[in-house]
Formats: sequence, structure tokens, C-alpha cells
Amino acid sequence: MNPDPKSMPDPSAMISVRNLSKLYKDFIALDRISFDVQRGEKIVVLGPSGSGKSTLIRCFNRIEPHDSGILSIDGQVINAQSDLTQLRATVGLVFQNYNLFPHLSVLDNCTLAPRLVKKTPRAEAEAMAMRFLKQVNIAEQANKYPIQLSGGQQQRVAIARALCMQPEVMLFDEPTAALDPEAISGVVAIMNDLAQQGITTLCVTHEMGFARHIADRIIFMDKGRILEITPPAEFFTNPKTQRARDFLDQMISY
Amino acid sequence: MTHSMAQFMRRCPFRLRPRVLAAALGGALAIAGSALAADPDLPGFIHDGTLTVCTNPTLPPMTFVNGTDVNAVDGIDMDIAHRLAEYWHVPMVVTTMDFTGLFPSLAAQRCSMVASGIIKLPDREKNFDAVSYQDTALVVVARAGTPPLSSMTDLSGKTVAVQSGTSYSARLAKENEALAQAGRAPIIIQQYPTEDQVVQQVLIGRVFAFASQDVELYYRQEQLHGKVNVILVPPYPEYRHFALYIRKNAHDRELLEQAIATMGQNGQMAAIQKKWAISPDAAKALAHTPPAPMFRWDTFFSALTSTAFMRGAFITLAVAVLSHFTAIMISIPMALALNGRDSLLKMVLKGYVSVFRGAPTLLQLLFIWNALPQFLPVFREAWFTPFLATWLSLSINESAYQVEINRAALGAVDKGQELAGDALAMSRRQVYRHVIFPQALRIALPPTINEFISLLKTTSLASVISLQELLAVTQIQVARTFEFTEYYAAALVYYLGMVFFFLFLQKRVERRFAWADRHKATANES
Ligand SMILES: Nc1ncnc2c1ncn2[C@@H]1O[C@H](COP(=O)(O)OP(=O)(O)OP(=O)(O)O)[C@@H](O)[C@H]1O
Ligand SMILES: [Mg+2]
Repeated sequence: MNPDPKSMPDPSAMISVRNLSKLYKDFIALDRISFDVQRGEKIVVLGPSGSGKSTLIRCFNRIEPHDSGILSIDGQVINAQSDLTQLRATVGLVFQNYNLFPHLSVLDNCTLAPRLVKKTPRAEAEAMAMRFLKQVNIAEQANKYPIQLSGGQQQRVAIARALCMQPEVMLFDEPTAALDPEAISGVVAIMNDLAQQGITTLCVTHEMGFARHIADRIIFMDKGRILEITPPAEFFTNPKTQRARDFLDQMISY
Repeated sequence: MTHSMAQFMRRCPFRLRPRVLAAALGGALAIAGSALAADPDLPGFIHDGTLTVCTNPTLPPMTFVNGTDVNAVDGIDMDIAHRLAEYWHVPMVVTTMDFTGLFPSLAAQRCSMVASGIIKLPDREKNFDAVSYQDTALVVVARAGTPPLSSMTDLSGKTVAVQSGTSYSARLAKENEALAQAGRAPIIIQQYPTEDQVVQQVLIGRVFAFASQDVELYYRQEQLHGKVNVILVPPYPEYRHFALYIRKNAHDRELLEQAIATMGQNGQMAAIQKKWAISPDAAKALAHTPPAPMFRWDTFFSALTSTAFMRGAFITLAVAVLSHFTAIMISIPMALALNGRDSLLKMVLKGYVSVFRGAPTLLQLLFIWNALPQFLPVFREAWFTPFLATWLSLSINESAYQVEINRAALGAVDKGQELAGDALAMSRRQVYRHVIFPQALRIALPPTINEFISLLKTTSLASVISLQELLAVTQIQVARTFEFTEYYAAALVYYLGMVFFFLFLQKRVERRFAWADRHKATANES
């Protein structure tokens, strides 16, 4: 299942990384990571706090540029010369704390980037935004400001905002962190929806039930390294590494 | 009072002796020569064919604003300047400014000559050439009813007010040396920037006496309604002549002396003197007019509605708005650079901010107006008006404060906002323009309006570089009429009106940022 780190990136994969490393000064945040994600796949990234999960997914839209190794998105190698606008229009990211624009209404949050970046006419952008807001069940809040929404509602706006750029990959950084079980099942429904539309999703989470439910494959990280890439059934019942076993034990005991 | 006033009138009557004795001989030859030529020889201080006269119009009857139009300077000095311009067949321009700015402006070649009722003194003649045109005498004046003094030593231990920049304080200091040697208490000297304030100190009883010139006091009798009298005419050999000042140049001085001598001969001088002379009898009659009421409402209201005050307020507002706008424009890129990576530029900017926050605003204004032309001659040309100078220095000064507001506001915008913009494929410009600036604006706006209100009041400092803003207009009117309370009250109404308007605006603007406040946002919704 794991690709050979020395091989060339897989051009047919949506995301393909080989020996990807990222340093903060002399601290190794990502250590020679290699894996492929196929189109429409749903990947969940698990791992203890500080293991490099956020750093990893932020490399995919180059919000955190990597230091060495090869990153290929949709068959294109990403480096300092890449067209970031095109990359970021392809790869959407939903932040852990949403980072909605507080000075804009929900609708304007969703239409700002399409109008500025893709020059979509306002009416068209708004129609599309309403479609995605409906998809995440929040259309009736379109004219409110973010500050007037609950955490779960803001989360869904953040997803709709990312979808408005019509990305092929969606990256989620702990989308369930601040949500109650009911809201979590809402997010699950949304992700299943996205998968059906052929959108590739990578999701960082601490929610084991959610991970088991949604993932095609689980990536387990520790100290900047990938220790396991396995389907959830296998990962949760029979983890290969002692580190993953300890991690799961801890998760269950809490 | 009547006794001492009469004595004053006898000893220093408002009689003007044309000062022709010395100049007549030398002048006669020159006049004979110039009669042949079409034009008299033009002195070097007439730049670009214009006679530029600098004056501080607060010393009637020599130089003052004799009406509500602050640009119309009147008085003996102006009449003489007009005759001189005619004599040389050149146009004349009057530039008004603070008294302390006159000599620096002359040195900076901003004026051809200073004609501002200034006494001919050897000290001043070290740096400038002086040509006298009018006789006078120094007088010590106190409130009506004060018994006359027999000598200057009688002022020991008493407070005397003088106009700053005049030579009176130096003369009184000399008096103090003598007093100290005799083991007596010195005269306490208080200096005020305008002559009217000097007189006011005596009227309100804060100081015992003031030093002035007989000519001025004579003119003031009308306004002072017999509230003061001359208590002493010290027998000083100096303080006998008013003089025109020019930059040192023996040839120019000779030409000016010739011109004055010619005016003495052809009767022009006598005509001017007659025009401004008031008979001692008229002065006596005025001295018995009943005292003025405490507050003249008609003066107050006519000041409020006068074009002079409206113009002054408009200039105040205009220079404040323009300066603050420029300051904001400068300070935004400055704030971005200061919030960015360490660099040489950042160090330079830090220095800029410390210097302009550290130095007093008044000093910066004076520096730009008086010192800058010494280094860069373009700044002494006519295009560099007091308005431009104020605009320039307040913009620079304000940008040093505004940059801190901008930095704090930019820093207060959550870093995640920039990341979110990046992640949505927006360009750097778009992120700043549509995401960061609107949020920083809300944070910066209340302190920015506070800054503006403070700047609006700071503009009053520009009166020292002769900008005709609200306070300068007020002071000129006060100098003319001595109606302090009424004109100060009118100025106060204007300042408060402007400030309250901007405070009201601040409230309105804050309400627009509903998105920042859950309750307001919800209230707007319903
Ligand atoms: N900008 C940065 N500068 C220096 N170190 C950083 C920076 N960002 C992250 N790190 C370090 O890199 C490591 C990985 O961080 P990352 O945020 O990817 O962890 P994570 O797995 O997402 O953790 P969590 O589950 O707590 O979100 C951490 O040790 C963190 O301290
Ligand atoms: Mg994280």
C-alpha cells in the first residue's frame, strides 16, 4: 500500500508525496513523508497533538511551503514556481477555528473569493453560494454576520465558503473539534456528500467514531512521521505499531 | 491720571519730526542724480520686482488690522511701505506673521524688509541694517490712578509685562543689574507673544505696568477708555526711533535712507503723520467715556458671524483635514513596513517616528518655516505659503502618531484572517484590501478620530508662522479692539462646534460596524 519513497509521484493520484519534509528552524515537523491519495478518497489523519497533522495538510495548498521532497497535486509538481492561485483554487482548506471574515455577511464570506479570484459575476457567485449554503443546511442564515452564528453554524459556513471555489480537494483541520454529536453527524453527511461529488477529502480529527465512520483510509502520524496507512477497520482493531496501540488505548480511556 | 497724561503728551507728543537731517546732505546729491534717470536705483532687497514687507500687525497705529479683514493690514508702516513701492515703481506684498518670526524671515530672504513698528537698536543693527522713519519714546504704563514714578528704580520688586521678541526685556534686565548692585529687588519681567496680551495683563491687574511706545499708547487711548496712564518716561537715549529693517547691505541702506528722506521732503511723510495723528484734546475727551460693559454681546455675535472668523475656521478645518489625510496616507505603508521584517528601512522609519513624536509640534512648525529655507532655498520662495508649511509639518508630525494606531490596528487583526484569504487563492493585495484593511479600519477609526480632534486644536500653533487660522484671526481682532472676552468666546464656540461635530461623527461611524458586536448586529437584523 505504501509507495516506494524513491519512486516518482503517481501522476494519476490526486495527491502524491514523496519524502516530504518540513522544518521549523532545526525542528523537524514533517519527516520524509510519502503516500498517495486517489481521487474521491476520504482520508482521515490521526495522531497525538504536535505530531504534524496540521502542518501536513497545510503543505498541500502551500500555506506552509515544504522544505524538501516532492509534492504533486493533480499530476502537477508543487514548488516555489507554482501558480499558487490555481493550486489554492483546486485545494480548499477549512481551518480548525474557521477563520470566517467577521466584517462580511455569511453570503459575502462565500462570494468574496470567487468574485475576486475567478471574477465570477456577483449574481452568479451568490446563486452558487446559496446552493452550497443549502447543501450544508445553513441557507437561512445567509444575511447574518459570523458573530451571530453558533460554532456549528460557523463551521458549516466555512465549509460552504471553501466549496464556493469549487475545489477538487478539501482539507479539513479538526472540523468536529467544537461540535456536539448531532452537529458531528451533520459534518459526516456533508463529507459523504462531497465524496459522492468526487471531491477528495483529507480530514484531521481527534474524534475516533467520526474517523471510523468516514475514512476510506487512516493515516496515523507521530513526531512528523507516518507510522501507518490502513483502512479504519484494520487500524481500530489491529494496529500495526505499538505507538498506534498506545494512542488508541489513551483515546478510549478518555 | 490727567496730570501724568498731560505730562506724557507734553513730553512725547504725537509729533513726528521727519528724520531728514542726516540723510538730507547725502540724499540731495542722489536725488539730483535720480531726477535725471527715469527710475531711482532699485535696491537689492527688491526680489523679482516686488517689495515684500513682513509685519506683525498687532501694534497700532504702526501696523495693525484696522477692520475685520485680517489680510488688510493698515497703519503708518503700511502707508510708508506703499509710498516706498511707489517710489521704486514696484508692486508691494504684505506678509503677516508672529513677531518672533520677523527677523528669521528677513534672514531667510522671505521678505525685502521688516516694517513692524520696531525700534532702532544697536543690538539689532549688528545683524541687520536699520533706517529710521519715525520718532518715538518709551513709556511705562500702569492702570489709571497709579501715581507717577520718579525713576525706573521705583519699579523694583514690581511685575512688568513686555512683548516677547521686543528689546524691552533686555533693557529692563539692564535696569535689574543696576538694582542688584544697589542691593534691591529686581523688576519681575513677564513676556507675552502679543502686545494686546501685554496690555491685558495690566487691565486685569495681574502685573503692575507694561512698557510700550508713546505712539502706540496714544492710539490705544480710544480703546482703553482711560483705563491706563503713563507713570514714567525713562530718559533712555535709545527707543527714540522706529526703523525699517533690511538685510545688511550698505548700498541698499543708503538707497532706503534716500527714499525716506525724499518722502520727508516732498511732504508724503507729513501727510501720513497727519492721517494717523489724534489731537490730545480728543484723547482727553475719550478718556472720560464711561467704562465698557463686561461682555458686549453685539461684538460677540458679530464676531461669530463675521467672514473673518468663518474664514479662520475654514482654514483651521482645511489644514487639519489635509494634514491628517496626508498623514494617514504616509502612515499606512509605514505601518506595514514596521510590522514586517527587520530591514534598514524599518530602522530609518523607527528613527523618523521617534524624532517626530519626540520634538514639540511648535518647534517642528518653526523649524520648517524658518530653518528649512536656510538649507533649501526653494522653501523661501513665495509658493511656500504658511498654509503649505503647516500642512507639511503637521502631516509629518501626525504620521508619526498615526503609524502607531495603524500598527496596533493591523496587529489586532487575527493572523488567521490572512491565512484564510491565502487559502481562498486571494492575492496579497486582495487579502489586504478586502480582508485585513476593513477589519483594521474598525479598530483604528475611534483612536484616529481622537487624533484628528487633537490635531484640529493643534493647528492653532500655526498662528506663529502667520497662518490665518481661527486663533490667529482671534488674536488679530483682539489686538485691534481689546475685546478679549468676546473674541475668545467666539473662537471657543467655533472650536467646540467643530469638535462636537466630529465626536458626533465618531458615534455614528462606530454604529456602522455592526458586525463587530453581536447585539448591535442582531438589533440591525430585526
Ligand atoms: N510556525 C511554527 N513554528 C515553529 N514550530 C511550529 C510551527 N507550527 C507548528 N510547529 C511545531 O510543529 C509541530 C507540529 O505542529 P502541528 O500544528 O502540525 O501539530 P498537530 O499534529 O496539528 O497538533 P494538534 O493536534 O495539537 O493540532 C509541533 O511541535 C509544533 O510545535
Ligand atoms: Mg493541528
